[in-house]
Amino acid sequence: MMKCRRCRGRSVVEVPRANASFCGECFTEHYVRNLVVRAIRHDEMFRHRDKVLVAVSGGKDSLMLWDLLLSLGYDAAGVYLGLGIGGYSDRSRDVCRSFADERSARLHVVDLAETEGFTIPQAAATGRRPACAVCGLSKRTLLNKVARDEGYDVLATGHNLDDEVAVLLGNVLRWETGFLARQSPVLAAAHGSLVRKVKPLYRVMERETAAYCVVKGIDYVVEECPLVEGNTQMRYKGMLDQLEASSPGTKHNFLFGFLERGRDHFPRDGAELRECESCGSATPSDVCAYCRAKEAVTLPLVSVR
Amino acid sequence: MTTEAEDPAGSASGTASVRLRNPDRTVDVTAPRQVRQLLMELGLHPDAVLVIRERELLTREDVVRPGDELEVRPVISGGSR
Repeated sequence: MMKCRRCRGRSVVEVPRANASFCGECFTEHYVRNLVVRAIRHDEMFRHRDKVLVAVSGGKDSLMLWDLLLSLGYDAAGVYLGLGIGGYSDRSRDVCRSFADERSARLHVVDLAETEGFTIPQAAATGRRPACAVCGLSKRTLLNKVARDEGYDVLATGHNLDDEVAVLLGNVLRWETGFLARQSPVLAAAHGSLVRKVKPLYRVMERETAAYCVVKGIDYVVEECPLVEGNTQMRYKGMLDQLEASSPGTKHNFLFGFLERGRDHFPRDGAELRECESCGSATPSDVCAYCRAKEAVTLPLVSVR
Repeated sequence: MTTEAEDPAGSASGTASVRLRNPDRTVDVTAPRQVRQLLMELGLHPDAVLVIRERELLTREDVVRPGDELEVRPVISGGSR
């Protein structure tokens, strides 16, 4: 029987990168909790007097984050963006609502079709932009808008260590120097229309967030988004998993080596931000990327002769 | 919860039911056997999934017994966040 490193009880979660295993309670209440508390403090993400808005999707990462922030005593509300992806979106919204109701927490629900006039499947059907690209732009713009309009100090997302490592690998493979310079667990509000963004799970691995939810009995949407098949980030994660399996700690070392010794070598672009002529969001252009994407999605298709 | 130490060699063999996700399907596997062996047979890496029995997590060393109903849940998700 594997024994918990901390209490010597029966272990249920193995953590190869720490060469350890833990019982459920030591895993959630000490190992994972300490990783998140360390991230919040080390990167000065927020304080207990701040109003935190957690972007929730119904998946394991965001619900685990919300649960942990509430248990740590933070003033944390949630925001869910309905993407219009059929039953998948309906189930995701219902899971978020149940989670909030069980904890008497406040949940903001925004529907893309109602407020913006399109859905992600409609965006994908035009073939003008990948679904995940429009989805990401929509989330960045609309979640920031809710945080700003509702007076939150900070917007917290469930990006975990695996997400950050996959993004880093992609940016390195394409030598996206501007993105490399900006990749950070904290994105400062660089313009009056932006709310500070933080990633308190960036020290927690994806398997650890899923295990946390199972141990704590958190109901989350296990099914994958139907539009994500073939997604580049998923392919990178698969490759990184192979490296991690043969050499535990590879992901951690790649990300933290970059944050501590690599990132500052990449120059930050000094583009000045101004308000989008259409929606008022911060942008280096006249019209922000979200409004351009929205226009492309909602424009009628032009026939080609 | 059954562990390897509690499961003596030679216990009666049978099958356990395993629910796999994304896409959802169920397969029967011979038991008893260690979780480690089960995942190897299914072609899954232990770090890429969680193995759940009666809402509790199993480690690689735990033993799956005849009649068990398991869920093998992937932990990787993608797309924009």
